[in-house]
Amino acid sequence: MRLTDRGIYWVLATVLAAAGLIPEFRSLGNLANVATQSAALAVLALGQTFVILCGLIDLSVGQLTGLIVVLVCDVAAGRDAMTAPVLLLALGLGAGSGAITGLLNNRLRIHPLILTFGTMSVLQGIVFTYTDRSVGRAPAAIAWLADGRLLGLPVAPLLVLLLAAGAHVTLTRTRFGMHVHAVGGGRDNARRAGIDTDRVAATVFVISGVSASIGGLLVAGRLGVGYPHAGAGFELDAIVAVVLGGTSLTGGRGSVAGTVAAVLLLGLTNNVLNLLQISSFIQMLVKGLIVIGAILVNQPGGRRAFA
Amino acid sequence: MAFLEIRGLSKTFPGATALDGVDLSAEGGEVHALVGANGAGKSTLMLVLAGVLSPTAGEIRLAGVPVAFSTPRAAMEAGVSIVYQETSALPEMTVAENIFLGREPTTRLGLVDRRRLYEETRRLLDRYHLPLDPAAQVGRLTVAGQQLVEIARALSIAARVLILDEPTAVLSLAEQRNLFDIIAGLRGPRLLILYVSHRLEEIFTIADRITVLRDGRKVTTVATADLRQADLVRLMVGHEVRERVPLPAPAGAPPLLEARLTGNPPRLEVRGGEILGFAGLVGAGRSRLGRSLAGLDPIDLRLDGRPVRLRSPADALAHGIVYLTEDRKREGLFDNLSVLVNATAAALPSLSRFGVVRLAVERRAGAAILERLRLVARSLAAPVRELSGGNQQKVIFGRALLCRPRILVCDEPTRGVDVGAKDEIYDLLLELARQGVAIVLISSELKEVLALSHRVLVMRDGAAVREFTGGEANEQDVLLAAMGSLPGAA
Repeated sequence: MRLTDRGIYWVLATVLAAAGLIPEFRSLGNLANVATQSAALAVLALGQTFVILCGLIDLSVGQLTGLIVVLVCDVAAGRDAMTAPVLLLALGLGAGSGAITGLLNNRLRIHPLILTFGTMSVLQGIVFTYTDRSVGRAPAAIAWLADGRLLGLPVAPLLVLLLAAGAHVTLTRTRFGMHVHAVGGGRDNARRAGIDTDRVAATVFVISGVSASIGGLLVAGRLGVGYPHAGAGFELDAIVAVVLGGTSLTGGRGSVAGTVAAVLLLGLTNNVLNLLQISSFIQMLVKGLIVIGAILVNQPGGRRAFA
Repeated sequence: MAFLEIRGLSKTFPGATALDGVDLSAEGGEVHALVGANGAGKSTLMLVLAGVLSPTAGEIRLAGVPVAFSTPRAAMEAGVSIVYQETSALPEMTVAENIFLGREPTTRLGLVDRRRLYEETRRLLDRYHLPLDPAAQVGRLTVAGQQLVEIARALSIAARVLILDEPTAVLSLAEQRNLFDIIAGLRGPRLLILYVSHRLEEIFTIADRITVLRDGRKVTTVATADLRQADLVRLMVGHEVRERVPLPAPAGAPPLLEARLTGNPPRLEVRGGEILGFAGLVGAGRSRLGRSLAGLDPIDLRLDGRPVRLRSPADALAHGIVYLTEDRKREGLFDNLSVLVNATAAALPSLSRFGVVRLAVERRAGAAILERLRLVARSLAAPVRELSGGNQQKVIFGRALLCRPRILVCDEPTRGVDVGAKDEIYDLLLELARQGVAIVLISSELKEVLALSHRVLVMRDGAAVREFTGGEANEQDVLLAAMGSLPGAA
């Protein structure tokens, strides 16, 4: 028997049930905490879902997130009056970086893994040239976005839900979304069908860049300061979440719901291991095994998904 | 005024003329077959019509209006679309999504209007009586079903000229019959169906008229009713004089290589010094058989009368079986490596000591073999991609010869090779045979197979259908066997 695309939901349900045995886990406060902590990764993974569905990959988002965290905090320096300008700065920077990546992807025809490794490295260089220690402070409104409550509910998870719903509708109900699937499913065939494949590719990189903007704002709000290491490794976690969620690394098949479920799974795993007071080194090991195991049950055809 | 009128259409590629002043006129409402042997120019003509290739000279008129298709899109917009042999439908999407890909109907909000998408698909499928479910995922359909998706897509884009390229090549018999019914149902006064095929039965079943191409020229256009199968084959072959090189007599020894075949004859045998030709149409299974003889698919053989199981090309090499691929670019050459490295790549064990290649020995061996093949290259250190097709083929031959083959399997050894190099390769094959090498020669050029082979094995649809020995093979009979004869026809 093979669990197919629905595998991630079974794994998530199993981990939830097991976690339910731990009393501390069951508190509403803890659950809200898990959702809030996972929000930035969820947003990055949503952006990465577009990219991977389209048959591409974007490694630059982690360092882009870091750059945005540093700039937002440094420019705002804790002043509430700067909220709107830094919001615009973050979104503009994300969209601009995505647009440049998209343009380079279309012009240079370098494999996106290498191309975005390059942009990742450039962004990292920029971050550490700018500062090698924490700078500035996030304005209160952004801290509220990342960690606050609205009508008693945590804001960040609500934002994620909203964005996820938007991403789902875009991917399944718009022409653009169908074209993302088509380009990922077979680029030459999509072009033969009259689709502007370059424009689709550029657009998904912009979406990915904007996801790093929002992710960066959430991280900045949580940390409160512009920590230059804030984005390190985010890109890989996002890619792992997308693939765990059942999206094929070769493109053309996948879903937003799967990605969200996978982010929750990763967040829960972290939370449970913390509650059990397991050392962080053992946590890495356990998390790695869970990722490999979950991908085995979740990717139809197992290894073929990566061929 | 004809519906489709082609005048003086030519297409030349560097070093080859694929189409040479072809005229053609076809009417709306007919199924017009394009036939010809391998390399006659059918595919080129079709690709020019579909806007994939642009012609070197000539004119195309559609309903009297001159048209020039620079891209497939332009051809589609003018009403010409093509269904390729291999499916290009996207497997993860539904039938309806595939048919309207790039032209999805949308609502006022800019969302895809799924209701209309499925309704329009349903209407299209009903109109042409295509048995498909609009909501089915294409990847789950049979190959025949996927082909219908492409036909539906082509009809939804352009319903003036529909080009079908060997549509039955991938279908079972029942599916073929079903497709013929569907094609019969498509006929209408404003639709011309151009049907490209080299299967005689189906041409006689569904075509109203037939245009025969040979060597890039049009031979004639005839009504199917006025034609017998044997006449059609004669038109395809022509009456050119066949040159025969005197063949060295093979040794009377027992066979060096024996293998089981499906079909008739049930066994394949080659003796030392003998050249066995494989004839058949593209896709008949010749290359597949050749590849398995070379160990690329596991196979049980008898070598020198002893049973041997080949599991890999390395096994085959160890038994002295050397294979020359038909696709030297993708499967043969290491593009960026030097001529010398390419030539010696398979023979390194005999050129090294303790696992270290003896560079001087390698160089001498490579230089000697390439000189014998009269290779023309700037330097042995030059990257092999710089060489002409003929010289690249010589490098591949050099690699094979350095392995000291007892059995040489060569697939299309003269493809993309100029006339001079062709003759040299023929001489080389004969020379090898004289030295006692057993040769399996796979070629789509009938003249080549007939001129060089002691015996000719004809394949069709993956099975052997007939073996001709010595002088009894002629082009017409071999082609007839390769295409399959029409039951009850002369």
